Amino acid sequence: METGRGRGDALISMAEQPAISVAGLWQVFGSDAASAFRRAQDEGGSAREIAARLEERGHIPAVRDACFEVAEGELFVIMGLSGSGKSTLLRGISRLVEPTAGRVAIEGEDVLAASKARMTELRRSRIGMVFQHFGLFPHMSVIDNVAFPLKVGGMGRHERHDKVQGIIEMVGLKGREGAYPRELSGGQRQRVGIARSLAGDCSVWFLDEPFSALDPLIRRQLQDEFLDIRARLNTTIVFITHDIAEALKLADRIAIMRDGEIVQIGTPADIVLHPVDNYVREFARDVVRGRHAKVGSIMRANDDRAARDTPGLRPDMTLEDALATCMAHHEPVAVYDDVGNLLGTVDPQDIASALKADGG
Amino acid sequence: MTASRELPATSMPGLSRGKLAALLTLVTGAACLLLQDFAPWIVRFPEAWTLPATELVGAGLDAVLSAIKPVMRAWSWLLSYPMSWANAVLVGSPWPLIIGAFTAAGWYIGGFRMASLTFLGFGFVLLSGYWSESMNTLSLVSVSVPLAVLAGGSLGILANEVPRIRAALLATLDAMQTIPTFAYLTPLLLLFGFGPVVGLVASAIYAAPPMARNVILGLERVDPEVKEASIMSGAHRWQQLFLVEIPAASQQIMVGVNQCLMASLSMVIIAAVIGGFNDIGWEVLLTMRKAQFGQAFLAGLVIVIFAIVIDRLSGSLALERKRHDRRVTWGLLLSGAVGAVLLALAGADTAPDGVFSAAAAAVDDGLGAFTATHGATLDGIKNSAMFYGLLPLRIGLDQAVLPFTWGFQWTPAMSLWLFAIAALVGLGLAATGRQMAGAGLLIAVGVVETGIAELPWPFVIVGTTALAWVAQGTRLAVLSAALLGLVLISGLWDRALLSLYLSGAAVFACVVAGGALGLLSAVSAIAWMIIRPVCDMLQTIPLFVFLIPTLMFFQIGEFSAFLAICAYAVVPMIRYTRHGLVSTPPEMLEAAVSSGATPWQTMTDVRMPYAAPAILLGLNQTILYAFAMLVIAALIGTTGLGQSIYLALGQADVGLGVSAGAAMAILAFIADRLAQGFAEERRKALGL
Repeated sequence: METGRGRGDALISMAEQPAISVAGLWQVFGSDAASAFRRAQDEGGSAREIAARLEERGHIPAVRDACFEVAEGELFVIMGLSGSGKSTLLRGISRLVEPTAGRVAIEGEDVLAASKARMTELRRSRIGMVFQHFGLFPHMSVIDNVAFPLKVGGMGRHERHDKVQGIIEMVGLKGREGAYPRELSGGQRQRVGIARSLAGDCSVWFLDEPFSALDPLIRRQLQDEFLDIRARLNTTIVFITHDIAEALKLADRIAIMRDGEIVQIGTPADIVLHPVDNYVREFARDVVRGRHAKVGSIMRANDDRAARDTPGLRPDMTLEDALATCMAHHEPVAVYDDVGNLLGTVDPQDIASALKADGG
Repeated sequence: MTASRELPATSMPGLSRGKLAALLTLVTGAACLLLQDFAPWIVRFPEAWTLPATELVGAGLDAVLSAIKPVMRAWSWLLSYPMSWANAVLVGSPWPLIIGAFTAAGWYIGGFRMASLTFLGFGFVLLSGYWSESMNTLSLVSVSVPLAVLAGGSLGILANEVPRIRAALLATLDAMQTIPTFAYLTPLLLLFGFGPVVGLVASAIYAAPPMARNVILGLERVDPEVKEASIMSGAHRWQQLFLVEIPAASQQIMVGVNQCLMASLSMVIIAAVIGGFNDIGWEVLLTMRKAQFGQAFLAGLVIVIFAIVIDRLSGSLALERKRHDRRVTWGLLLSGAVGAVLLALAGADTAPDGVFSAAAAAVDDGLGAFTATHGATLDGIKNSAMFYGLLPLRIGLDQAVLPFTWGFQWTPAMSLWLFAIAALVGLGLAATGRQMAGAGLLIAVGVVETGIAELPWPFVIVGTTALAWVAQGTRLAVLSAALLGLVLISGLWDRALLSLYLSGAAVFACVVAGGALGLLSAVSAIAWMIIRPVCDMLQTIPLFVFLIPTLMFFQIGEFSAFLAICAYAVVPMIRYTRHGLVSTPPEMLEAAVSSGATPWQTMTDVRMPYAAPAILLGLNQTILYAFAMLVIAALIGTTGLGQSIYLALGQADVGLGVSAGAAMAILAFIADRLAQGFAEERRKALGL
């Protein structure tokens, strides 16, 4: 078990049940996909063999045997190139498309078994979703867009408008309540999208490439604001992106997808320092490792070998910062947590080699 | 091994589908030519082999119709209420109030421009002296449009909600629009009896499909993320539909309402042929029959202006979101009301008599003088078009070339020479690698020599089937053969060929003229500035009105009908040709220019191939327009199916009307699928 960036991992071990758990999820497209999948599955073999068999018969296994768990309050990023199945996976979890096989539980409830009415209820009260191209209703003003989930839930006009006022302020759209989507810039539109997804006080938040359609500067600004919002609300988040930098910046953990398959799940440091194969390595190649890998990822835990030097390393420091701090040291140095307990040691040579090595 | 697997199983090595089809057609044609003397049944399908289809259809329909008649009569009775109310409001209200109300609506929708257009339009209607007739027409429209919007809208939503019935529904909508309007007037007449309700129902039937189509299209085009967002917001299906999808599709739906209005207006006017209602269409028909072309022209102008005002008003309702100051709207309405009161006090509250009747009389006189002095020229135009163009196409060179027309007599030897030369040229073309051109030339010469109306039936069926096979494959080929076979044994074959000839000639003329005008509009902005408003107007005018000017100059006859069809059907050809040519991606043009292509080379080698799918779609539209107009043109003298349908209407012969209508729809359907098939193939070839 990796110890890394604090919160998410700590919660994984502590929480009794994950907020979202996905097991053996398949999404097969093509005519009569369900029975085709059953037949292919009955013939046995690994997920890869089943997928190959389906492809041979003209079906498209867009998501193959996806398994993962997201802890309460965790920010889980699913990353992959276009066509890797990441958006389809999210649509399967939210039941915008019906998965072919598998199990999805949100806060312990089996959503694939939920009735239509129950699903509607869940979407009103527990699940929020943000879309890549915003998905705003062109005929509604900002405030009506944001309050839409409350409107369909049967809340009166005044009440719902009062209720969303705070959210509109939070996303920085105060004063634009009466504007229509066509009068807003891209960044403003996505703020509306974010506000609308939050209107129902959701505890599970899905974001499908929310910043991909925006300019780089606006994107960074919205990412920072997103992190602020996230810090304020204790929601469980599944975030889709094709941008490795965005994934590393935001994620507690990242799942990397290729051809419908999840190839690696790990912390940002894991992905950068220990890619499982060349595909993942390619992603990490352009990343300045020192900025994303943390001291915790190379620390030898509970190593009480002397470690006389204490330059003040913390497990959540980046390697870049750590290297600067222990430039002058040649012996392993101690790592302490915030309250001063000794956690383990780090050999400065490990830092250097982690930064230098090509991951192989 | 691999290569042979990639080829379709049906094609022989070395022969493409197209060549195989051309060869097959040629062989059939040649065989028919050779055998015609020994087996006359090859040219003319023996009457003894036909089924009494019209009688059978008539008997069958009669049974069905009389079964549902009571229900329909009840409907008719129900519908007569809203109609009499609409009539009472529109005809009963004093004219200043009506003009004020419409001008106010114009202001609210489109500001000063729309308000003045509406005011001037209605002003003209008032001064024309056709006020009450126009209001009668408007009251028909005002009842039939809500009916059509409701019916079309529900059909569209149904197709959206139940994907399984969608294909069937779209096919039905196709049929509703290809079956000629007159054809379903006859059964409606039996169901509802004479009177305005028939026109009402017919126009609702005619106007519902465009509404349904636009609703389907609009709902389909709603951004998928918008649909998903409404689902994820926790909306029920009906909330998704009515709170999100329909409002988001409102622009497309308003386009549907606009088309619905225009279709309804067009049909209400056509329905005047069954009479019984003192509306503006009846006025046109009446004056046309009395050869009062000045009056007919005036009444036609009223219809045109009416159509333009309604079209632009509902069009800007669809396009513009901005609404204008309400205070002006109320002000206009109020001034209308005040005007009405003042006129009533002055005792002059009825609509004035026409102030243009003198002008109309002058037009009549002028026209009389014009035709008197230029009669020879006009006749010359008409006769040369008939002798050198239409007649040979219809009955072939072998019968059309007479001493009286061409100055000499066509002999069988000439036919032989013609075929020999064509065969030589064709062989030459084939030898230089252009086999398709060679085969095409031979087929064309064969058709011109024989005449479309005299073509042997095996040749027509084999040729069409082969063409369908090339365009879309086996399914369409089988369907075409079966449908044509149906026409053949129904005994309507000769009439179908006559219709084919006239619409074929008109389509050919439209392709040449429309293609040229489209090309001109594409290269010259000035030309487009002139042509565009003409196209706009030609598309707004109800079909019926096209007959008036051609009739004024060329009297009743095939040539007038031909001109009217051309005038109506040429517009899509112009529009699509231009659109295809100007929508070439700029990068592609820049690439051509930087490769050193001259403007002409750019046009022929880059823009035209790129525009081919769009132009083929234009051809498709032109064909459908021509078929639609063919039946209307029957009013001024065409032969063929159109005439049969029109006659059936007069004799209340349901069997003949419906079977002739079905035959017409079959022709239109096959032509439509052929053109669409080729357009689709070109689009795929270009990767669009």
